[in-house]
Amino acid sequence: MSRQPFYAIKLVAAVTAVLVAALAPAAGQAPAAKSQWTPARTPDGQPDIQGAYARAGIYGLAPQEMESNGPHGAENPLEDTAYSFLPSGQKPNGKRSKESSDEDPQPQGEGGRAVPLAGPAPPGPWRLGLVDPPDKVLPWKPEEDKKRREFLMHTNPAASLRYVEFDARCALPGLFLNGGPFQFIQPETEVVILSEYQHYTRTIHLDGRPHLGSSIRLFMGDSIGHWEENTLIVDTTNFNEFTSFTREIPYLSDALHTIERFTIADQNNIKYEVTIDDSKLFTKPWKTAGLFRKAKPEYEITEYACAEGSQTLLNMFGTPPGQ
Amino acid sequence: MKRSASVRLAVAVLVFGSPRVTVLAQAPVAAKANSAAASKLVDGKPDLNGIWEALNTAAWDIQDHGGELGIPPGLGVVEGNEIPYQPWALAKKQENFANRKTADLTESNCYLPGVPRITYMPYPFQIAQSSKAIAFSYEFAHALRVIHMEGGHPDPNGFLDTWMGDSRGRWEGDTLVVDLRNFNDQTWFDKAGNFHSEDLHVVERYWLADAGHMNYEVTIDDPKVFTKEWKMSMPLYRRMESSARLLEYECVFYTQEEKYKNAPFKK
Repeated sequence: MSRQPFYAIKLVAAVTAVLVAALAPAAGQAPAAKSQWTPARTPDGQPDIQGAYARAGIYGLAPQEMESNGPHGAENPLEDTAYSFLPSGQKPNGKRSKESSDEDPQPQGEGGRAVPLAGPAPPGPWRLGLVDPPDKVLPWKPEEDKKRREFLMHTNPAASLRYVEFDARCALPGLFLNGGPFQFIQPETEVVILSEYQHYTRTIHLDGRPHLGSSIRLFMGDSIGHWEENTLIVDTTNFNEFTSFTREIPYLSDALHTIERFTIADQNNIKYEVTIDDSKLFTKPWKTAGLFRKAKPEYEITEYACAEGSQTLLNMFGTPPGQ
Repeated sequence: MKRSASVRLAVAVLVFGSPRVTVLAQAPVAAKANSAAASKLVDGKPDLNGIWEALNTAAWDIQDHGGELGIPPGLGVVEGNEIPYQPWALAKKQENFANRKTADLTESNCYLPGVPRITYMPYPFQIAQSSKAIAFSYEFAHALRVIHMEGGHPDPNGFLDTWMGDSRGRWEGDTLVVDLRNFNDQTWFDKAGNFHSEDLHVVERYWLADAGHMNYEVTIDDPKVFTKEWKMSMPLYRRMESSARLLEYECVFYTQEEKYKNAPFKK
C-alpha cells in the first residue's frame, strides 16, 4: 500500500499542546520512581524489550510552536488507543494501483489503524516534548536562526527542490521522532528497530565497535549503544545533511549527534529521551522526550510505502522534461 | 559461527552478576568464516543472523542471457530456464522487454521491487532473528519485511495490496519457509520484463548449507499469468568481512535530485 508523507495534524497538535502544558513538570526533574518490574533477559543478557510499540506523547518542540505545524506523532498519551498511519480495516474501493494512490494521508487518530495497547501508561509525572532548555526556546545560534528564517521564506510554496521538506520527499527521517509503530528485535549484541513508518531499519550495535569513518554519511546515522541497567543508551553520528524535523527545523547539519535513552518504565512502556546536539546550528544541546507503549502481541508491523504513491513533487513542480 | 550455547550461558551469567554497565562481549565476527558448522539459536532454530547477498545476474534477467552494454551475462536461476507463461502473458513479457528501460518501476522510480526480486538485487540484506521474531532488511531502498511467524494472510478483500507481499513464516525442520501473498501487480521479477499479477503466490525456502552459505529456493504461482508453478533457486552468500553491514541506497532521493534539479517546471 502507498502513503503520501504525513503532515502533522493541527487539531491534535493543539489539543495535545494543552495537555503537555498541564502534564510536563519543570524541566530537569528526572522521573523519580524506579521501575518495580524486572525485565526478562535475552540469551546475551540484554533486558528483553522485544515486541511492537506505539508512540504516545509529544516528541517535538515548544507548545507555542506546535500550532503552526505540530511534531509528527502528536497524540494524547492518556488515551488507551494509539494509531498507525495505515488505514483501518475498512474495505478499500477496489484494488489500489499506482494511479489511484494519491489520496490524503492517513494520520494517526484520523482514520489510522488502531494499535491495541498491552497495558496502561505508567504513572506520571512524565517529561514529554521539549524538556530542555526549560524555557522551551531552541538554542539557535543567532546567525543560524537568521539563515533558517530566510530559508523558511522560500518553502511555501517551495522555490526549488532544496526547499521541500525531506519528509514530503519520503526521505528517511533521521531523528527517531516521527510517528507510527515500530518493533524491537534483539539478536545477539544488537538491538534492531523496525519502523512501520518509512519501513526503515535501525541496527544498534552493542558489540563495542567504533563509529564509521566520517566520510560515510547516512540518513539514519550510525548507531552504537550499550545497556546501563534498564536503560538502552544509543549514540548516533555520521548523519548526512538531509535531516529535518517539523517546519520549525527545516534542516539539521552533518554535525548532528544524538544520544537516546530508552528506559524501561514497566512491562508495557518505555520512556524515551533524546539529546540533540548540532554544534553548527545550536549554542548547546537540547532534549525532547516521549513515551513508547507496547502493543498487544497480535499487532503486526505492515508495509508503509511512501514514494510509490507520492505525487507531491509532481504537484509542486510539474512534470520533469522527458517524463 | 557465533558463540556456542555454553559460552553464551557464561556470558549471560557474567552479565547478570556484572556491575552497573552491561558491556556485551565483542562478537567474534571473523570466527564465522572459520566455523565449519552452522550454529543454532537457544531455541534450536538455525541462526540466520547476518548480512547476506546473492551473487548472480538474476537482477538483470532471471533466465539465461548474453552480455550487453551494462548487462552482465549469466546463466538463469529458473529451474529448466523456461517460464510457463500463458500465451497472452508471453506477449506481454515481450512487450515489457521492449520497453524495459522505462517501464520497470523499480529501475525508473526506485519503487519497492517485490519478492523474490529484492533477494537477488546486487545489494546486501540483513536477517535479524531472535527466538521471538525474524525480519529481513534490505540495503536497496531500505526495504523491510517482518516475517510473521503466526497468523495467516489478511483477507485480500479487506486489506490493501502491497509491494513486498505479506510474509508468513514457519520452520520445516531447519528450513525457514515463507509464504507470501497480498502483492500488487506493479513489480517485475527482473529488468527483463518478467512479470506477475496481483494473484502472485510466492513460497520461499531458506536453509543453511554451511556457516557461509544458504540455499534459497522460490516457488512462483500465479494462475492468471502462468500455466503452472515454477521455481527459482540459487545460493546466498554470507558477507564475511568483519565490517559487513547495511548502509543506505536511497535511490528515491537520488532520483528526485536528478529529475527535479531544475524544478519548478513550466506547467
